[in-house]
Amino acid sequence: MLKTRISFFREQRNPIILLLITLALPFIIGIFEGSSPLMVWANQGSISKFIEGLGIEIFILALYALSFDLIFGVTGLLSFGHAMFFAVGAYLTGIALKTLGLPLYAVIGLVFVAAIVQAVLFGLVLPRVKGITFALVTLGMASVFHIVVMSSDVANYTGGDVGLQGVVVPAFINPAIERLRFYFIALIILFLAYWLYKVFVSSPTGRVCVAIRENEDRAKMLGYNTFKFKLAALMLASITAAFAGTLHALYQPVISPTIADLGFTVTALLIVLIGGVGTLSGAVIGALVYRLLDFVLRRYIGASASLVTGAIYVAFVLFIPYGIMGTWQLKKWAWKEGIQRLLRLFQVKPEEGEPKPQQSK
Amino acid sequence: MKPFFRRNSMLLISLLVLIALFAFAGRGMGSKDFVITMLRGLSVGAVTFLVASGFSLIFGLLDVLNLAQGTLYMIGAYIGWTMYIRPDTFMDLVPLLALMVSGFALNGVWNIVVGHIHLNPKVQRIIPWTLIALSLALFAIILPKYPIAIWDLNNYAQSPVTYSFMADQGTRLPVTPAVFSQISPFLAFGGLLLASMLFAFAVSLFGHAAQAQGRLKVKNFVPLAIVLIVAMVGYVFNNTLTNFFLGMDTTVLFLISVLVAALSGAALGGLMETVLIRPLYSRPIYQLMLTIGLSAIGVQIVQAIWGRNEFIMPKPSLFAGSGGACPASSLASWLQNHCSTIWLLGGRVRVYDEIFIPLVGIIVLIAVWILLKRTRLGMVIRAGVQDREMVEALGINVRRVFTMVFALGVGLATFGGSLAAPSTGLSNAMGESLLLSALIALAIGGLTSYPGAALGSLLVGFIQQFIIKYGQIGIPIPFTDIVFKPSPPIVPASTVLLMVIVLLILPHGLLGKKE
Repeated sequence: MLKTRISFFREQRNPIILLLITLALPFIIGIFEGSSPLMVWANQGSISKFIEGLGIEIFILALYALSFDLIFGVTGLLSFGHAMFFAVGAYLTGIALKTLGLPLYAVIGLVFVAAIVQAVLFGLVLPRVKGITFALVTLGMASVFHIVVMSSDVANYTGGDVGLQGVVVPAFINPAIERLRFYFIALIILFLAYWLYKVFVSSPTGRVCVAIRENEDRAKMLGYNTFKFKLAALMLASITAAFAGTLHALYQPVISPTIADLGFTVTALLIVLIGGVGTLSGAVIGALVYRLLDFVLRRYIGASASLVTGAIYVAFVLFIPYGIMGTWQLKKWAWKEGIQRLLRLFQVKPEEGEPKPQQSK
Repeated sequence: MKPFFRRNSMLLISLLVLIALFAFAGRGMGSKDFVITMLRGLSVGAVTFLVASGFSLIFGLLDVLNLAQGTLYMIGAYIGWTMYIRPDTFMDLVPLLALMVSGFALNGVWNIVVGHIHLNPKVQRIIPWTLIALSLALFAIILPKYPIAIWDLNNYAQSPVTYSFMADQGTRLPVTPAVFSQISPFLAFGGLLLASMLFAFAVSLFGHAAQAQGRLKVKNFVPLAIVLIVAMVGYVFNNTLTNFFLGMDTTVLFLISVLVAALSGAALGGLMETVLIRPLYSRPIYQLMLTIGLSAIGVQIVQAIWGRNEFIMPKPSLFAGSGGACPASSLASWLQNHCSTIWLLGGRVRVYDEIFIPLVGIIVLIAVWILLKRTRLGMVIRAGVQDREMVEALGINVRRVFTMVFALGVGLATFGGSLAAPSTGLSNAMGESLLLSALIALAIGGLTSYPGAALGSLLVGFIQQFIIKYGQIGIPIPFTDIVFKPSPPIVPASTVLLMVIVLLILPHGLLGKKE
């Protein structure tokens, strides 16, 4: 038992180290800024608070991209309606808190149920349509949702094309006051989701999902009911994305309807592509790179930032098709070997006591 | 006969239900409204068809979902507008663009030269990149100094909005011709020529192009000579040609601008296929992502050049007449007065929007249909859609056909854009909404089916227009006094719903082939 636990920690060494660093990041930033850890704890450092905000946005994006990677990268379903998963979570949270006045735990339960319902809705069309047609049908469903959200008939609830404003966030996780707590909660949710996804992908169910991506007919021939596995992946992704949407609704002051359109699905596609399709960790890295890049470009280039983003995107497709993590996994050994060769070049004399091979002859 | 019905029962039932729906929808309104709504639907359907047919040809043969099609449609509209309103800008661009492609006109020569060069592999890897860097640097030095008479986005009096408004009023704003002040023209031309040659040579050094054996012949230099003559004519007769275009009747100018838009779209499509899509044939899903990225870039470029404001494109003089005799009561009267509207079966119909566009749509439908059914290229395309490997095995250069089909598809989209611009106006968002309509039309009609594209576009156009019309007059719900008025957002939602329903009943669309 202990052994398996230790081996788990050894396997997940890098993510855990990253988690610890990210947990400590606000305090480290605070030290550089000149405010003590206690002040950071009391949400007083301005730069560290800003970094926390950026971090929260990255965690939400990563959670969302992770769920897209599960159905696109792992299971191989191309869905153009993924933004709907996220937007349903966000809008439901906003409406439940603002109009219905429900407590937070009830909202979470509601989001959970809604996530399952929409996964089943997507699942309904699964046996009928495949490939590109599935992408189009999901695009259709998501655009109907987008149109309904935008329409003036329900503007009292969703805010129409202005966006949903004035959501009263419960005081104990209000990002304006208790931002550090929100940061920790979002980070831990992201880590748990990542860990859950890792377990899922290496579980027998996840293996079948990978098999479906590789060759669905063969998986069927082997006797798997591929529909069930696809539905399971869809449900898990839907729940994750909906909770990412909940966090978004709690964090952002305005829920803009752009989170329901095709562009937001493309954002997920972009993040996954930058990080590496099907690598899970790539989704997190990709979200980090994407958000920071977006931040820097918007700051220094301004309005034409999306031109550069588009160019980077095209460059990634053409030159780094496996993304950051995918290329790393492919070239890891070659690079490590190259670094060692480089080190050997500088190491003129072998160390003392080491046998000198092939010189005695 | 019986097996036919049994095999296509679902299709026939769906078609019957659709026809019944239309009949039901037609009963609810007067014949005047019905005619206008039908014509409008036909018009929207024709424009959708131009984009959708290109999309379907490309997807059928190349298996590439070209999601940039909507953006290209928009770019076509903007190019057509430029030729129509500012021919001087266009004339200034002619020598520049001709010189920029001049290097590629010598592709035949480069291939032979590369075939004779044998270098150390390491050197051969560095040289192309060095040459490309050099040529890009040359471009970067020359292009900002190259004078082009263009509108000014920051100055409202000279913005595209003002230019189109004035042209609509019948007066053209005076244009100041561009002069070479920062750089001598011969230096600029020589530099551009050199940069373009370096670039093309570097690209052929990469070895993507086939290395041809043999000696240089005179015919290898013919394309370069043509390009250079075009550039020289464009430079020397710049003012003469500009004045010629400006003094021309707007109908002829409009035809020229539509042609220019279609041809530049075809060139753009060919370039896109050879440079960007071709390396990705082995990774299908990445082509899709690439076209998404290109579409985003295209929108940004359009915003940077033509600005974010919406503007109109005046109708050509043939369709813009007004006066005492308008709206025309008959065809003969229209031919005399060129009225913008005409009385048809009791309804007042806009000639350009509701008669001319559908007519052009039908002509293109038939032309492409003849191309597909009656020519050798069409035969290869149809065979390629069915079984690409078999066509390759027969010794046909499918890659070249790919490029041609991509060029044709994109050309159709830009043609549609420039055709629709006088009726819809120009905006940054026009591509996105049309792409969605085209996708829906194709999904309804069948993704790779050419008649399916036509049928689907027609259905989408009709449904949109009928819903809009019913949004004005309202639908009385039976047995109640309530009148239901669909709000404008219902329009896209209704077509999307139709698509989902059709796809759930017939996963390959109405006319798509079953696998």
